[in-house]
Amino acid sequence: MTAQSASTAPLRDPEPRPLTRAELWKRRTPLLPGLLFVIALTQIPFLFTVYYSLQGRNLLRPDSGEFVGLANYGTVLADPLFRNAVTNTVVLTASTVVLSTVLGIALAMLLDQRFPGRGVVRTLLITPFLVMPAAAALLWKTSMYHPVFGLLNWALSPFGVNVDWVSQFPLLSIIMVLTWQWTPFMMLIVLAGLQSQSPEILEAAKVDGARAWTTFSRITLPHLRQFIELGILLGSIYIVQTFDAIFMITQGGPGQATTNLPYFIYQQAFRAFDVGEAAAAGVIVVVATIIIATFALRVVSNLFEENS
Amino acid sequence: MPNLGVAAIVLFCLTPFYWMVATTLRPPNQQFDNSLIPRSVSPENLIAVFDPSVGFHRALLNSFLVAGITTALTLVIGTTTAYALARLTFRGKKIVLAAIIATVMFPGISLIVPLLKLFTDIGWINTYQAMIVPYLSFALPLTVWLLTTFFKQMPFDLEQAAQADGCTPGQAFRKVILPIALPGMFTAAVLTFIMAWNEFIIALTIVNRPKMQTVTVAISQFTGAQQFELPFGTQMAAGVVVTIPLVLLVLICRRRIIAGLTAGGVK
Repeated sequence: MTAQSASTAPLRDPEPRPLTRAELWKRRTPLLPGLLFVIALTQIPFLFTVYYSLQGRNLLRPDSGEFVGLANYGTVLADPLFRNAVTNTVVLTASTVVLSTVLGIALAMLLDQRFPGRGVVRTLLITPFLVMPAAAALLWKTSMYHPVFGLLNWALSPFGVNVDWVSQFPLLSIIMVLTWQWTPFMMLIVLAGLQSQSPEILEAAKVDGARAWTTFSRITLPHLRQFIELGILLGSIYIVQTFDAIFMITQGGPGQATTNLPYFIYQQAFRAFDVGEAAAAGVIVVVATIIIATFALRVVSNLFEENS
Repeated sequence: MPNLGVAAIVLFCLTPFYWMVATTLRPPNQQFDNSLIPRSVSPENLIAVFDPSVGFHRALLNSFLVAGITTALTLVIGTTTAYALARLTFRGKKIVLAAIIATVMFPGISLIVPLLKLFTDIGWINTYQAMIVPYLSFALPLTVWLLTTFFKQMPFDLEQAAQADGCTPGQAFRKVILPIALPGMFTAAVLTFIMAWNEFIIALTIVNRPKMQTVTVAISQFTGAQQFELPFGTQMAAGVVVTIPLVLLVLICRRRIIAGLTAGGVK
């Protein structure tokens, strides 16, 4: 440790001489266009959304467009369909993230061991993540879930199972597709964590007679913490936004059983043509995602701290 | 027992993809056949996908152009911005970085309403740029975030040494910093390409002319070459065709992608 800090110390900035204002700006200017462009590109559409959300804009009423304050937010929050969409989104995201993280950890543990053909297995296991979501939705809808020709019913028929998956278990059907797609993503991140573990510590634990489970829960899991956190955070941010699978497999149905927030907004904007309410719902989703992501990260961190 | 569990997970991950390939290779008259290994193999489904009446090659070309241009622009803009954020100190920098990263969390659907209105007003409906510009806004935050952490890890002395040896700041950036940042840029490029290649909502709403559709939309509206039957085989063949580029991309550069992702993201 001391050797390391000694070697990095000289790399620290040797207190640079304070620059004048003019010099500072001369340095900054060449770098600013990119920065401004990124800010404009990323923030302006959202500001537009906020602007529309404050207007009573409905494409079916061409004269509309008046300022209505927060009325759209009130309407959306009071809408039972919106609340239903919130519940569906939470269930969908939470189940998919938990399932794919657990499965991902299991697969990563498998791939961290040495066995013949490991490279091939690893590459094959990544493929679900690479299948285009629209194509994956089609694949599950037709080849897996089809009540007559689907593989799932065919495989379960010896047990007397014959189910129309999409209409009888719509939410479960979507969760299965999403879990299938996101497991490889979690596996990759966890695997990167496993491989950065020092083999000496694991060897020491073995010598000290620690059982496999103890080694896993006391050494491996705490080490994996930041990797799992990253996976959960990125995973939930993207899974909240799921649209393709729902659009293609269930169209939000039957009824509203699988309508999540993105699909709700889509319906508001392109079926009901209520741009104001769709924009308000969009703003609510953005704010909620940011709050939940921050909160989720805290909870996960605390969980790990208590364990270790 | 744990091994059995892992075997089940592996099966869960691999079967659907295997089935997609197997269904593609079956001749159309055997498409509802559930034998695990296709009885006979034929390229008919793949040929049907590229039938001129389907217009699938045009969709492929559209997707390649849109995803490719998005990736190139993201790299150029993202690299300079990340460098600026890593090296410059100015008031409100943290807020700027937070605002950019928060954009990752904006569901595309929540932006679609203003985008559609805007693009209708300026006549961008059914154009490539109407897809590329929004994709940039989704890809840039991740790229900037990845590369900022990359640039921050590099000691400032690198540029100072280069400048002491007679480089201009621009040269120092190009000749010293860029080569070291390459793994991070590479990862960002692959992720951006995958994101743009797979994007669905914007491509679905902004484009309504079949000729300008990307493959995601084309696949979702794919009814196959033959009418009045379930075109399982052709649909799966289309799925295989659009997945192959990504599988190849990742197969060739898997090691580099993971190295770039974890070196930048976690530390």
